[in-house]
Amino acid sequence: MVEITPSFLLESSALDEDHKQLAGIVNQITEALDQGRAESCEDLVIHFIKSTKIHFAKEEALLAQVGYPNVKKHQGHHKSLNTKMEHMLEFAKMAPDNEMARDSLRRELVFFLMDDVITTDLEFKAFIEDKGKSETD
Amino acid sequence: MKGLHVIGVSHAFGDNKVLDNASLLIPAGEVVCLLGPSGSGKTTLLRLAAGLERLQKGQILIDDVVVADQTMQVAPEHRGVGLMFQDYALFPHLNVIDNVTFGLLGHDNAEAHRRGMKMLDQVGMSQSASKYPHMLSGGQQQRVALARALAPEPKLLLLDEPFSGLDTNLRGQIREDTLNVLKQSGVATVMVTHDPEEAMFMADRIKILGENGQILQSGRPHEIYYHPQHEFVAKLFGLMNRFEGVVADGCVDTPLGKVFARGLDEGRKVEVLVRPEGVILQSDRQTGAPVEVISTHLLGHDNIVRVSLTNGGNGKELYVRVHHSFEPELSKRITAGIDPEYAFIFALV
Repeated sequence: MVEITPSFLLESSALDEDHKQLAGIVNQITEALDQGRAESCEDLVIHFIKSTKIHFAKEEALLAQVGYPNVKKHQGHHKSLNTKMEHMLEFAKMAPDNEMARDSLRRELVFFLMDDVITTDLEFKAFIEDKGKSETD
Repeated sequence: MKGLHVIGVSHAFGDNKVLDNASLLIPAGEVVCLLGPSGSGKTTLLRLAAGLERLQKGQILIDDVVVADQTMQVAPEHRGVGLMFQDYALFPHLNVIDNVTFGLLGHDNAEAHRRGMKMLDQVGMSQSASKYPHMLSGGQQQRVALARALAPEPKLLLLDEPFSGLDTNLRGQIREDTLNVLKQSGVATVMVTHDPEEAMFMADRIKILGENGQILQSGRPHEIYYHPQHEFVAKLFGLMNRFEGVVADGCVDTPLGKVFARGLDEGRKVEVLVRPEGVILQSDRQTGAPVEVISTHLLGHDNIVRVSLTNGGNGKELYVRVHHSFEPELSKRITAGIDPEYAFIFALV
């Protein structure tokens, strides 16, 4: 189970809520894998990817709005995660018949959300704190 | 979350900035390798996590507990961190079992001995418990150092170039054994290395640090090798063949054929990097670009073949990795093409 503990909070309610929602989907996928329902993972991963892309667009708009200086770099980072999302979908498709794919999916989801997405976002936490919470909520 | 969480860490030695807003997460049970050239800040990151260096900016958490930020710093001995350096740093005046039990504070002697012997057993060194470090080979010392680092059941294990002192033959076996022990222990492990092959072998995830102390890319070994996102990352894994071109109709034309330029604007000037195994030599076909064989170099399982482009390639030399059984004659004219899986395109500024 992944959990958005305090060290993963950006203190921007809009973005933190998104991250919690994504964590919820990751937990649903993990639960499906644990309960031997790997065939449901493909739809769940598609839902996760769609939700992630919506979140990225929202976040980029918000960062541009508050004048974050590295917004282009962060957009580039989001773009670079497309390959990982494609791989996760491949793992999900293989999951019903392949234990390695199930293991890879489980671990990749945690790294993707908690490291690639949220931990990288923490790099602009100080900036949005300085800007004041009200502008980013 | 259990493991190491580094958030927005920047660090400088005088005017020399070695880490710039670096963030990373290493969950418990995973082995993450920090790979980069000398001066990229990878050892500094390790020392900051261990508490051997005072944190200047950012935050470090171990198992969700803050161990360092700008206002406080938990002492290294209270962080639950196991360390292993390239010189192993065994105490020469203590025998193997005493080295391993040295850090087991709070255990009574019998319990510490039991734990120490268990760890020595795991690394295959229980028969050498009464020997002194000078009586052991480099590989044996490495195993003892690993047992010592894991004996106190750390939350986090930090390995700094742990295999660099070993000769090539021994290295392969020791790193495989080490990986088995790490996986059994379930501890979050960060390993610093400048050896890409070692990182590929050991890591669940590799983080590539650039010369400016930024994390350039992070991913599974497969992703790093087959989907490098920076020229620097692509070149880390050895020789590359390089061409320049311009994106037209979604492709880049090279002397060896067209390569798809996904996500790049039309008319953009780019470079195409092709791994030596991505150049396909064909001795009995008429397709591909004509090349002439200059030399072959046997590397055991593979051959590296040096060829030069003959028609329209201005004699440009290429490196090609082929199976050892393929030994084209010198000066022979054959053809070469590209396997797109090993070709990477980067925009030129």
